[in-house]
Amino acid sequence: MKLSNLRRIRIAVSLFLFLSMLFLFLATGRGILDPVANVLLHLQLLPSLLSFFALFFSITTLGFVLIILLTLVFGRVYCSSICPLGTFQDIMIAFSRLFKSRKNRRFNYTSNRKRLLRYGVLAATLIFWISGSLFLINLLDPYSNFGKISVSLFKPAYIWITNSAAFLLEGLDIFLISPRSMHTLPFDVILVSGIVFLVISIMAVWRGRLFCNTLCPAGSILGLLSLKPLYRIVFNEKECTFCRKCEWVCKAECLNSRTHEVDYSRCINCFNCFSACPNEGLQYKPVFALNKTEVKQPLEGKASPDEKRQFMLTLVTGMLSIPLISKLARSRPVHTDQPGMVPIENQKVVTPPGSLSHDHFTSNCIACYLCVSACPTKVIVPSFFDYGLAGFMQPKLDYHKNFCNFDCVRCTEVCPTGAITKQSEEEKKLIKIGDVRFLAESCIVTVNRTDCGACSEHCPTKAVQMVPYEDGLFIPEVYPEICVGCGACEYACPTTPFKAIYVTGLPVHQEAVPIEDADGPREDDADDFPF
Amino acid sequence: MDRRQFLRKGFLFSALGSLYASTIGKIPLFASRSNSLQAGNYDLVAVRGGEPVDLYRRAMDEMGGMGLYVKPGQTVVIKPNSSWDTPPERAANTNPDLVEAIVRDCVEAGASRVLAFDNTCDNWERSYDNSGVAEAVRRGGGQMLHAHLERYYTDVNISGAKRLTSAKVFDRLINSDVFINVPVLKHHGSTTVTIAMKNLMGVVWDRGYWHRNDLHQCIADFCLYRKPDLNIIDAYLVMTQNGPRGTSEADLTRMRSIIVSSDIVAADAAGALMLGHQPADIGHIRIASEMNLGRMNLDNLNIRRVAL
Repeated sequence: MKLSNLRRIRIAVSLFLFLSMLFLFLATGRGILDPVANVLLHLQLLPSLLSFFALFFSITTLGFVLIILLTLVFGRVYCSSICPLGTFQDIMIAFSRLFKSRKNRRFNYTSNRKRLLRYGVLAATLIFWISGSLFLINLLDPYSNFGKISVSLFKPAYIWITNSAAFLLEGLDIFLISPRSMHTLPFDVILVSGIVFLVISIMAVWRGRLFCNTLCPAGSILGLLSLKPLYRIVFNEKECTFCRKCEWVCKAECLNSRTHEVDYSRCINCFNCFSACPNEGLQYKPVFALNKTEVKQPLEGKASPDEKRQFMLTLVTGMLSIPLISKLARSRPVHTDQPGMVPIENQKVVTPPGSLSHDHFTSNCIACYLCVSACPTKVIVPSFFDYGLAGFMQPKLDYHKNFCNFDCVRCTEVCPTGAITKQSEEEKKLIKIGDVRFLAESCIVTVNRTDCGACSEHCPTKAVQMVPYEDGLFIPEVYPEICVGCGACEYACPTTPFKAIYVTGLPVHQEAVPIEDADGPREDDADDFPF
Repeated sequence: MDRRQFLRKGFLFSALGSLYASTIGKIPLFASRSNSLQAGNYDLVAVRGGEPVDLYRRAMDEMGGMGLYVKPGQTVVIKPNSSWDTPPERAANTNPDLVEAIVRDCVEAGASRVLAFDNTCDNWERSYDNSGVAEAVRRGGGQMLHAHLERYYTDVNISGAKRLTSAKVFDRLINSDVFINVPVLKHHGSTTVTIAMKNLMGVVWDRGYWHRNDLHQCIADFCLYRKPDLNIIDAYLVMTQNGPRGTSEADLTRMRSIIVSSDIVAADAAGALMLGHQPADIGHIRIASEMNLGRMNLDNLNIRRVAL
């Protein structure tokens, strides 16, 4: 095979995988590429690592092993082909080239590898992680950021387009497309996603895969693993004419066409160099097939043990600060305050069913918002600081938006990290994620003295029941032991501006008392109509 | 017809119409828009002791057939209850086989379009699918409509209403010729029963308003806007406790019955009695009767009772 074909294959594969991921986030459960995307989800480095720790030795969590093996053999193909944010950057680079002069399109080799920044960020990320906060991972991980950008920026546009088509067809009495409610995330979340989008785009347009080789924790981990890959890009001294064309297309700025050195730690295997070379000046060979003289790495790169040493040093010094950061990360208590006519005090945040506890959830959720996008009722909403710094931007259940559908387990099916563990419908119906509280003094029935019962109507377990009150009216009475905390009562409660019934989250999920399911329908004993 | 012609004709017809209304009174001009009790053979038909579709066929035969209510070329809107994400055997929603038979009947009666919808309580997609109602409408030859966005609703004034003076009503209902209400008979935590009148909460956008502003009065008020031409009450599997959603099949009683009437208040009165309540004890039935929206006293009605 001609080496120049490698680039074409890389582009085709990465675009295909990118689109499947994109449509997974835009139209979860409806995309034709969903089967591909579901496999891909297990092949994202940090989500897979997280799920390994969350779920232990389940076979589906071993995607990261595959990525590591792939990297050790071929280098960072993950970064060029599998990572959706990587392909996103490539698209931005390709787009910006349309507006650049021929000369400005060129990349140039840089010997400044920004190792301090790169490994400093990685070490800090790991330290935060070990101390129980995914703050930096959620801010820097490429998969997480791709999800955030897709759900908060691309999805509204996607809904607008599909809805326009749907309404147009409905006007013609064609009901092929189901329109969706516009799904906008909280402003602060859109703002952060917007900033991330801009920063990554600008970095890409300016210096190629700069983000991947400085801030990206996945890129840094794989960079360490690919210091000496089995298959390497090497110059063919006999063929190379020093034309520099390979260097100008190198997005990672890791190819030195003058000294014939390649920094494998930064190389993301985009294979652009092979296509650019007019001769056979570059080869892709396993290390054992190379002559000693052919193996060249940047001067600094030769000191790779040094690199490791530096990394270990940063890591160890950082470790010493764990107790401090740990305290900082947890300093904000987990609760949301809601004011009210009858103030709702200490309403705790509610995490999705299957997330086991606030601790489990916050220490495993990568904030990719796949559950946010997949949730049919859109009750899952990104938070900002509701979980403190530890759970920065992780999702919560917002019962002002909607409630958690009793028979639905969609979020537990899509979560790639195991922050929300998989649940069957039967299991989920007994998971108690919160507890109901009733404020009689702000209820319609006591204040207006008219019947209401919207809360009880919506309650799937009858943990809220209407019992006789004064003047033939009925008033809610709550039975917390059978309440699952779905929030249907809170959502349905029509009091404004504040609710008379609400759900407070349980820091550790519990099991609800099952509903007594007797023998099924009774037979009617009447033998005629009562009229 | 050009615009001038249209205006001229429109003016002529509206003048004739108002003359007609002011002289002859409140006798309906078009059979399709009417609730007229003389349309059917009986004021109310109740059938018991069969499967849902058989009950319906017999009841409709006794009423005089769907052809009395649906004329060729008309648009029919059906309002089943498909509000809950529960399977048919839980009977929180209208029996899908019954819905299918009604839709097919309307199609066979020559309706140009048979449309159904519900502004659901649980997630609309799951409720439409898992209730089996959307599929039933499709099988019958009708179209289940999206009703989950505010844009499908238009503000209407309800003259004479005490509390519900205006409401956002489903567009396609406003523009329909025939309106068929197909509730399922159920216990209800706060309104004690939910039958035909209460089922109409699913044709407006903002139910919360009703809850905040004297629920029973609003339920009755809405009938001032538009009463269904036909009410077909599914009383095959009846939720006698824990309504309106129910928690298990243990909440149900197999009554194997159906009630059909053009008089929504009479239909509700009959349903209430089947659940063991006096119609006058149910707020919205009593209020509706007081507002002359129908008759809750069944004694003087021409009722046909059939046991299969």
